[in-house]
Amino acid sequence: MPIRLDPEDTETAALFDFAGDFTGKRVLEIGCGDGRLTWRYAGRAAHVIAIDPDPDEIAAASEDLPASLGDRIEFRAIGIADFDAPEAEFDIAILSWAL
Amino acid sequence: MVHALEKIQRLLKPDGILIDIHPPPEPSSIEVRIRGEAIPAGWLHESDDYAEYEDADDALARVVGSRLFVVERGGAFDLVTHADTVAELRAYVAEEWEEARIDDITAMRAEELLSTPERDKEVILRESVRIARLRPRRSAS
Repeated sequence: MPIRLDPEDTETAALFDFAGDFTGKRVLEIGCGDGRLTWRYAGRAAHVIAIDPDPDEIAAASEDLPASLGDRIEFRAIGIADFDAPEAEFDIAILSWAL
Repeated sequence: MVHALEKIQRLLKPDGILIDIHPPPEPSSIEVRIRGEAIPAGWLHESDDYAEYEDADDALARVVGSRLFVVERGGAFDLVTHADTVAELRAYVAEEWEEARIDDITAMRAEELLSTPERDKEVILRESVRIARLRPRRSAS
């Protein structure tokens, strides 16, 4: 069998436990990497902007983006310092192993 | 890092929340699981990341201290990576982790534990991860 990362889904469970309901929420994920965590909550959110400064990671995430989530997730190859958005735009920000 | 948190505070709605997920500055363990029992084999060695994790803790403490955010809740969970062989786990760590490695003594210990004829066995990397929910405080801006 190949490597299995968190098959128990403890990270997702902890995220939902701490963030609560994502339904209808606008989410900013900082340090999304290849989208491993993004897939797990995006189906419930209204819109997700997921950023990472590594273009290779963003390319991988964009390539793997499920068609069903294509209209609600934007992947951007950018760091938080250069990311621009209006003030008070997001309901939830996720710092995903990014500090 | 503090600048990043200041920016996030501005981007969040007044009733928004920040979820921070990052590991503590402590080594992750390498274990062998045989029939459901996890036996310690050693530790994952990281040369740089502990300092980064300490910086992350410091940055969070500073924005909470400066009343930019208030911590509503904190906790921890284990993130476990499973592999069938030590070589497989070592290759994964080499590819996915910067500045981290499984040393030879830990690898040998894990190999020794895996040499049991028992079929229900695997080697695991167990990372302790911190998670926190923070709320922005507008009065500080």
